[in-house]
Amino acid sequence: MAAVKPRPKNPELRRAMKPWGSFSWGYSDVGADIFVGLGLVLGVAAGASNVAFLFAGVVYVCIGLAYTELAATYPVAGGGQYFVMRGLGDFFGFVAGWAVLLDFTIDVTLFAWSSVDYTSQLLPALVNSVNPWLHFLVVLSLVLGLCILNVVGVRESTAFNGAVSALDVISETCILCLGFLFAFRPHLLIHAMQLNWPSPYQLMLGTSLAIISFVGLESISQAAQETQRPASVIPRTSISLILTILIFALAYSNLALGLHPWHPITDAAGHPLQFWQIFPHNADNQGKAVALLSAQVPYYGAFAALYVPVLGAVLLLISSNSGVFGSSRIAYAMSTSNLLPSTFQRVHQKFRTPVISIVFFCAIAVIELIFAAIPGLFPSFEPIYGRFFRGEGGLGFLADLYAFGAATSYSFVFLGLISLRLTDPLSPRKFKIPLNIPLRFRGERVEFPVVGVIGFIGIFSILIFTLQTHPLGRLFGPSWLVLGVILYLVYRNHRRLPLLRSQNRDWRKAQVEILRKAGEFELMDEYTANVKASDARRAEESVP
Amino acid sequence: MMIVRAALAVALMLCGAAIVARMVAWVRPAGWEILPGVFLGAAMIALGAHRLSLILRARGSA
Repeated sequence: MAAVKPRPKNPELRRAMKPWGSFSWGYSDVGADIFVGLGLVLGVAAGASNVAFLFAGVVYVCIGLAYTELAATYPVAGGGQYFVMRGLGDFFGFVAGWAVLLDFTIDVTLFAWSSVDYTSQLLPALVNSVNPWLHFLVVLSLVLGLCILNVVGVRESTAFNGAVSALDVISETCILCLGFLFAFRPHLLIHAMQLNWPSPYQLMLGTSLAIISFVGLESISQAAQETQRPASVIPRTSISLILTILIFALAYSNLALGLHPWHPITDAAGHPLQFWQIFPHNADNQGKAVALLSAQVPYYGAFAALYVPVLGAVLLLISSNSGVFGSSRIAYAMSTSNLLPSTFQRVHQKFRTPVISIVFFCAIAVIELIFAAIPGLFPSFEPIYGRFFRGEGGLGFLADLYAFGAATSYSFVFLGLISLRLTDPLSPRKFKIPLNIPLRFRGERVEFPVVGVIGFIGIFSILIFTLQTHPLGRLFGPSWLVLGVILYLVYRNHRRLPLLRSQNRDWRKAQVEILRKAGEFELMDEYTANVKASDARRAEESVP
Repeated sequence: MMIVRAALAVALMLCGAAIVARMVAWVRPAGWEILPGVFLGAAMIALGAHRLSLILRARGSA
């Protein structure tokens, strides 16, 4: 009889992920964003949609590089929250983590909503404006279904993620290549940009929406936790991921503006329209933009019209699931750092999953869904939304909060990056963002990241755009943060922990442990040697 | 397999170069509005170069 291995007391994640697994994990999370973002941006930024994507894309490259450096240096699953906590302290770490949690809960609802929108391309009964109740019930059942799957511990496998990601990369490449070859007309693009340039307000709104096409970089740090030798693997896969997503976003927005439709598109009076003109003031079309675009690609479009909606729906559902999974994992990490009550660490006895975290954040996702769906379900509420929220509802509401959460957490991550470069120069950085200024800070040689400052200015301006142009984001985003801060202060007071200051932690010991667990023994030795050399130098300097 | 991946990386760079060239041809009538297209092409060239450098490094260490 085979001996039964005892279950470890504190089970840890197995580091078994290969480079493709790491890429596909990130891709299935971030790659789905363009399926949601494209229609929303085309709907408001019109002829400047590609410029909105370009601005958000440049900021995203800076964010991606920051995450790559941080995840390779500190390969732990806490992600942005951990980096900020380590760089700026417990309070700001909590604020960043709480903003990420907002994004994950929105992620669950927004992507389940969009998944149904893509399905509606093949099943017209699911169109939101036709059957709002059916649409709502299907989205609700998807959210509840994902909640149950996560509670019982069923997750999509890395192999499934990899297969869907590969299929998506191939099919998007086909759509874009054939689209640019056969349907792209540069004069239409220039015409759209020159004659349909939006107002500054719409451009700001479009840019703040474009950032949602690049949300999900937390997956880089989550993948780092499960990758063997992450300091070497993560930079390779992350740069490929960042550039792939950037290329798709820029390509889609340019193609959409310069597309000569395969099938003529006309308005109600029979006048011909450009492809992008089907998006303003049409939430149904905005929700399934990639499927509509792929159907307009000559030759390939007839085939793509059949499977791209299904592919989009599956990819969006995977992304929605990563919201359920990610929120519980971040809450777990925050709870172990004493930023959230220990309830969020409680694991189900039978399924060994953080059941309370999963149910709590899914409940929030359902509340957000109800709020988003109300104007469609009860037309009597429309005047209230129209008066107080500029008529926003549905996708608009979800996108508002998504943009707010992303811009807030990313702003803190840049500050965390700058702070860690100054306060923790001894940690070996196998990947470093380019463009650094060498300085001396508190007796140590440090490198000040110029790209970090550029990225911070970019993402902070997007946060300002979000607050300026999103009436719901302006109201509910800060309210979420205020609610979280109250919860944090009450909890820290109850546990008799410092309220605004940080707990004492031995980061040096923690860093050695992180590198040891990651299998980065050379870096661990380098770090230990750096620490010893620094201590010896300080001891010498202190001798009079 | 490595040759196929290298060929794809080179194809990506060529596509990027074609897009840049096509957009630059419109610089007179369009002005700065060609910028997003040029960035797209540049990103494709960068990704192709990145993939190619990884392949060459892997081949060097094999």
